[in-house]
Amino acid sequence: MADDLKIPLLEELEKGPWPSFVSDIKSMADKSEVAADLLRQLEKSYEDKRGYWKHGGLVGVLGYGGGVIGRYSALPEEFPGVSHFHTVRVNQPSGWVYTSKALNEIMDIWDEHGSGLTNMHGSTGDMVLLGTNTDELEPTFQALTQKGWDLGGSGSDMRTPSCCIGPARCEWACYDTMDLCYNLTQEYQDELHRPMFNYKFKIKMSGCPNDCVASQARSDMAIIGIWKDEIQIDKDAYAAYMKDGFNIKDLVVDMCPTGCITADENDIEIDDSNCVKCMHCIARLPKALAPGKERGATISLGAKAPIVEGALIAQNIIPFMEMEKPYEELHDLIERIWEFWDDHGKARERIGEFIERVSLATFLENTGLDPLPQMVQEPRDNPYIFYEEYYAEEDEEAASDE
Amino acid sequence: MAADVSIDQLADDMYEIVADSAGKKKLKAGDLTKAMTAKYGDAITRKDCKAAIKQLIDSGRCVYGYFGGSSIELPRTEGAANE
Amino acid sequence: MATEVERKTDIGPPHFEQFLHPLMKENYGKWKYHETLEPGVLAHTGDAGTLYSVRCASPRLASTNFIRTMTGLADKYADGYLRFTSRNNVEFLLADKDNIEPLKKDLADLNIPVGGTNNAISNVVHTQGWVHCHSSATDASGLVKAVMDELTDYFTSEKLPARIRLAVACCLNMCGAVHASDIAILGVHRTPPVIDNASLPNLCEIPTTVASCPNNAIKPTSIEGKTTVTVDEDKCMYCGNCYTVCPAMPLADPLNDGVSIWVGGKISNARSEPMFTKLAIPYLPNNPPRWPEAVDAVKNIVEVYAANAKPFERMGEWIERIGWPKFFDLTGIEFTKYHLDDFRFAGTTYRRSTHNRY
Repeated sequence: MADDLKIPLLEELEKGPWPSFVSDIKSMADKSEVAADLLRQLEKSYEDKRGYWKHGGLVGVLGYGGGVIGRYSALPEEFPGVSHFHTVRVNQPSGWVYTSKALNEIMDIWDEHGSGLTNMHGSTGDMVLLGTNTDELEPTFQALTQKGWDLGGSGSDMRTPSCCIGPARCEWACYDTMDLCYNLTQEYQDELHRPMFNYKFKIKMSGCPNDCVASQARSDMAIIGIWKDEIQIDKDAYAAYMKDGFNIKDLVVDMCPTGCITADENDIEIDDSNCVKCMHCIARLPKALAPGKERGATISLGAKAPIVEGALIAQNIIPFMEMEKPYEELHDLIERIWEFWDDHGKARERIGEFIERVSLATFLENTGLDPLPQMVQEPRDNPYIFYEEYYAEEDEEAASDE
Repeated sequence: MAADVSIDQLADDMYEIVADSAGKKKLKAGDLTKAMTAKYGDAITRKDCKAAIKQLIDSGRCVYGYFGGSSIELPRTEGAANE
Repeated sequence: MATEVERKTDIGPPHFEQFLHPLMKENYGKWKYHETLEPGVLAHTGDAGTLYSVRCASPRLASTNFIRTMTGLADKYADGYLRFTSRNNVEFLLADKDNIEPLKKDLADLNIPVGGTNNAISNVVHTQGWVHCHSSATDASGLVKAVMDELTDYFTSEKLPARIRLAVACCLNMCGAVHASDIAILGVHRTPPVIDNASLPNLCEIPTTVASCPNNAIKPTSIEGKTTVTVDEDKCMYCGNCYTVCPAMPLADPLNDGVSIWVGGKISNARSEPMFTKLAIPYLPNNPPRWPEAVDAVKNIVEVYAANAKPFERMGEWIERIGWPKFFDLTGIEFTKYHLDDFRFAGTTYRRSTHNRY
């Protein structure tokens, strides 16, 4: 019963204008002993300034090596409701779009089989159903699949791909993020559910360089929409902005990172050959400017959080690839990268760390990619070059004969 | 040539390796694949190995484990890390 | 009892098309432009018409009650269509402009702020903390609540020079990838795990425990004839991976655990390239339930930034323009030896010029 819920520290977090997770969990405490004990254990954490959870290791549903995170209370006798508190990751739809009906069905399942608590959504993108016991895992899974849902990834697998809303609600989408996200998720179901890699592999898709899903910071493979040709200019719309007194010099011309815009109250010209597609001008003048027509994606690899060798932001590996169905070129690239990483990576080595260890040149050679100046900030500044081509003595003589 | 070595045979071989290293070293899927490639060379493919691992897991002979990275292990008591 | 049904696997997520608002289907790939009608309310226009999105906050750690409240509002005002943003906000997708005000009123009655668009502080990307994680050095949901209570006004307005992206991660495993946020709060452990030599031999597999350390800091050893482990304290970076596999190596240390504050990261490619966050404050105490030291520190940085940055200049861009010495000067934050990098490539962060401002 929730009558004996004594959580004075947590109740401090019911005050204030921001939505309170404490009030929200409390609203479940009457019908869910899991929610009540979660609050009790959390109150103890707030008193003692430490967590009371243990990692679970081996739980899951038959056949899958990912999608469930085992978790146990370190104080099961004191808080039996959360003695098991496993997490179920449910693969979200592209762009996190839902209907009330679909979402309510999932809530019904979770009220029946779990704590009734969720994260909408987890860091990787999944719907996170937070807190159930081992016996409920298979029934939860079956109930979800009957309604058309499946689990997401965890462990050393391809993690649940995620994408921005893209062409479904954004004029800047340079390729169909929603479709590609669905395509990759379906294409690689085996890699998603059965961990077979050295470590996790995240794929995130953003429709333009604004990168609303943070792919460049948070995914092993970032697929970011880009265009190659000229920014589209609607002169009438531009004139309308100017008529409204828009400060074109301060807010656009002076902020262009390559200084490729010449503009005044009457006209705007862009030197597209020098434009780095940063989108600042387009974002300031959304009715007048739009990405070009020759669209595709740029692909970067290797972003990750600090463990083990330090945090990384993704490095560019493909300056431009067309992103059209059935995405064969991309599938092919992904599979070549996985194969080389699989064969030569170490346990718990993310792709970004792997590339640093084996060297970018070695990585490119083994994945069939050519070195390009777009891949670096600048060429090397040290002379420790490991030359692979040189003349043997005879060749040298032959050369000097010429 | 994949027919030379059956998936059952691969699964049995893999099971043996997993059982041998239980308590000593956690094996990844890739470790099993590499061991099979070393043993059978071109007579098997990656796909065969994937199928063999799937069989090991689906039959319950082995389970996935996790300790920072994922591993393939013998089934054991739930929450062993907890007891 | 439920009748036996065929067990399905590997079906993947449902196709998104069935969840798209009719206007999203009709304008799919053909949107022309968008406008911000007011903070939290966007209007996207294409040939088939205009779709209105009303964005509101969520605690992210949300109960089925909260989700049902959201779906109830979606049914009432948005023909049942809603979505979530990459920063855990809820967006209602409306065809009828006249529904915006009543929806906003209902949200206001529920004390749920509307906002998070453009030059606002959007919802906080965060991790699990004491609610669910075994290696956390602090709570995440509580920190977010305490910080955002002070900053809600920046969520519901667009008065900042540019957007501020806030993130909270409860240990350096950084499940929330806080390393590219304008301001990040990062939970820190400051002491290695304590080894319970009496129980470790019974509780833990030694090879697994040794292998769990990403820095090879754990070695087997023998004490009174029993095999246990030692930790090389110089190598330990307090990640908690050993505790994951070995409960006899607890990392939590109420006396020393706390939070650090990081600034100046960004993800978008707008103007400047993406940037890492950099250390602003190496340690503040864990002080639940409201973490006043951390809240004050974040609020101070936000306010100094708001007062000094130029329009559309992100935190990191502003600091690059004025220089780090001035950042520490303006914010009154002390610069210490902990701000000097000593990990790999530390030298790349040292200044090698005479470009100082006096």
